[in-house]
Amino acid sequence: MGQEKGYLALVLHAHLPFIKHPEYPDFLEEDWFYEAMVETYIPLLNVFENLTEEGTDFRLTMTLTPPLCNMMEDPLLIDRFAHYLNQRVELSQKELNRTQGTEFEGVARMYFNKFRRYQDLFENRYHRHVLQGFKKFQDMGKLEIITCCATHGYLPLMVHKESVNAQIKIAANDYRSRFGKSPRGIWLAECAYNPGDDKFLRDEGIRFFFTEAHGILHGTPRPKYGIYAPVNCPQTGLAAFARDMESAQQVWSAESGYPGDPRYREFYRDLGYDLDYDYIKPYLHSDGVRRNIGMKYHKITGKVALNQKQAYDPYAAREVAAEHAGNFMFNRQKQIEYLSTIIDRKPLVVSMYDAELYGHWWYEGIEFLEFLFKKIYYDQNDIKLITPSEYLAMYPQNQVVQPSMSSWGDKGYHDVWLNSGNDWIYRHLIKSSERMMELANKFPNADGLLRRALNQLARELVLMQSSDWAFLMTTGTAKEYSTKRTKDHIKRFNELYEQVQGNRINEAYVYDLEQRDSIFQQIDYNVYSSASKEAVLSKY
Amino acid sequence: MEKSLSSGVFVKPIAKDAQTEADIPAGYGRTESYLLPKDPAWLFLFWEITSGTLDFLRGQYGADTLNNARTIIRLHDVTDVPMFNGTNSVCYYDMPVIFEARSWYINAPQSGRSYVADLGYLTTDGQFILVSRSNVTSLPPGKISDIIDDKWMIVEGDFQKLLKLAGADYIGMGASERMQVIGQRWKLTELTPSGAPSSWSSFALHLDKVQEDEDIWLKADCEIIIYGSASKNAIVSINGQDIELKEGKFSIRQHLPAGSVVDLPIHARNAKNDKHRHINIKALREQGK
Repeated sequence: MGQEKGYLALVLHAHLPFIKHPEYPDFLEEDWFYEAMVETYIPLLNVFENLTEEGTDFRLTMTLTPPLCNMMEDPLLIDRFAHYLNQRVELSQKELNRTQGTEFEGVARMYFNKFRRYQDLFENRYHRHVLQGFKKFQDMGKLEIITCCATHGYLPLMVHKESVNAQIKIAANDYRSRFGKSPRGIWLAECAYNPGDDKFLRDEGIRFFFTEAHGILHGTPRPKYGIYAPVNCPQTGLAAFARDMESAQQVWSAESGYPGDPRYREFYRDLGYDLDYDYIKPYLHSDGVRRNIGMKYHKITGKVALNQKQAYDPYAAREVAAEHAGNFMFNRQKQIEYLSTIIDRKPLVVSMYDAELYGHWWYEGIEFLEFLFKKIYYDQNDIKLITPSEYLAMYPQNQVVQPSMSSWGDKGYHDVWLNSGNDWIYRHLIKSSERMMELANKFPNADGLLRRALNQLARELVLMQSSDWAFLMTTGTAKEYSTKRTKDHIKRFNELYEQVQGNRINEAYVYDLEQRDSIFQQIDYNVYSSASKEAVLSKY
Repeated sequence: MEKSLSSGVFVKPIAKDAQTEADIPAGYGRTESYLLPKDPAWLFLFWEITSGTLDFLRGQYGADTLNNARTIIRLHDVTDVPMFNGTNSVCYYDMPVIFEARSWYINAPQSGRSYVADLGYLTTDGQFILVSRSNVTSLPPGKISDIIDDKWMIVEGDFQKLLKLAGADYIGMGASERMQVIGQRWKLTELTPSGAPSSWSSFALHLDKVQEDEDIWLKADCEIIIYGSASKNAIVSINGQDIELKEGKFSIRQHLPAGSVVDLPIHARNAKNDKHRHINIKALREQGK
């Protein structure tokens, strides 16, 4: 331990649901992945590369959820992304000419430089395998990559522990195949923790997870350090780290959060709508409808109509990001200084965010992070960045507290994922889980087509369990798509279940599903057998 | 007359699985029920009861006994009960229910307890006839623990400071902002400029959240449940939309947003459409201040 007064653990949760539609030449919702790649994931890698090159040490914890990892390694999606990126490079190059001598010259140049740099990283440095980039920084000890529930399944609403176990086991296996070791940490989907689920985590070698603040504050007995040190779960000894609200609010708050600064880029004014139709058409989807294409030339400006927005100045915005990074660090210094007068160990502040907030939503968020890393490293000695594993190595002894059931969703529990708008799904999710267990027990040693069918049933089940669908039904955005996805997986599951039970498996049908719902190539349906569950439970 | 009163609120019939979602199974042909936790105060119970089960029970107990009985949820507190057998719970609470509703939100008597829900008939002589028993579900405590750890003592005043710093007064708040932002993110590809908020800072929160303030805040949300029964030959509509009766009964659940008036005129007519019955239900929820 050095002279620092306390620690800051920055945790970014990178996640997208598994969206892949090989049946269409291009598909709108796949854009979520391409946008996040070019605005968040690759820009983050770029920051890591820059910091490493210039010798700035940093620490960051990141979830790369299994669906995201699967998409990052999916040949079809990566091919389509390469095309998407190439189109951005092409358009931004054209834009250099069009904007020459106008107030948009600077921002056009910024896009061209960034897209070209990201393309270079993607194609030439990582050879289209961005996971290798993340792995590199993990192996260097700067980045701690944690896993998540297999498909972001919402564990407290799973009645069958076999389904909880499967969500964890499938995720851990996927992680091992990609990063060459067991995950030490997990971001439970939506930070939704159900007491006792930590047993399934421990069985996979996981040492820690995260909860919302009241997961620890409402724990039993009272947590001595509040949320400023992890606690250990009884029986399993797993460490639970809680989210700091103060630093979360600083970024999230709609009123006072950093991303609302008028000098930052305006999200809703997009070239997809501004440019001449014939000029922009090649960069739209094949239906030719104007949509956001991810290039925006205006700043927030203030509370004015979209057509009143002023030109974006990348240099001015960068200055603001630096200013905000300084403010964020200053607030953490003050926070930790004050905390260290109350508690008798070096306080830990855990700041947790959705990764896509940075870059995709808050465009300058990436630069904010880069500035923050530099400032913390060069400008002060009060606080130090840390990963959960490093903290636990330093403080292996923690108070034993049973965390409370909780989530980071609105109202703190399960309302977002269980309300009158989406409660109909649980009848099917729970029944499918029961049917999966039934088949796994009935056919413990399946091979050939039966094995393929059973493995595909497991894929359909985990895909229908993605918490994203229930979430989107509640927010009302992409409601149609999320409802359809849920129903599609239920239909496919039940159709295949009937085929297996009736001993009439249609190979063409299985093949078709294998192509569409191709997540987890290595899945083993036996994870749902009761024997597998007993193996877990018998240890306690 | 109902039409003119209508506020245009769309009412979904409860049997939407059967009506509009014919592509996924309405049920799985087995009598069973599941109990899920929602928050420290609420549980969600859903079930399926097959006609075979009801026939069997009629055979056992007689159709008259069941017809005269009330259908209830008997919610057992099974906290620290190792093996619940139907009678050894700490205590239980009865509440009326309509089996055809197929799901019900239950206001739990106490947070931090474990529950099992039994669906069944309560006969006129007080006998409980079990139809389906749920799994066990535990609810979170929803508050700071009273239990203090001898080995990890902290001065009370310091603990209160830590709680304040950690935002213990604001649990669950702020998350709706986040939800709005993330929710918006998914919508990007569908956005048109006219429908788009003008900037980050202009996000409005839909939740009825009254003035977040240092000292006092208040949040509330509301759903209303309308249920009833009608003669078997009646065609019933709520707010102009026909709903499906199951053995003469119906139930709908409706969100009541802040600042809205919901008119739910209930109308029954016979097949010839020459006899009518009306019940008007109106709910008002004022905007918070």
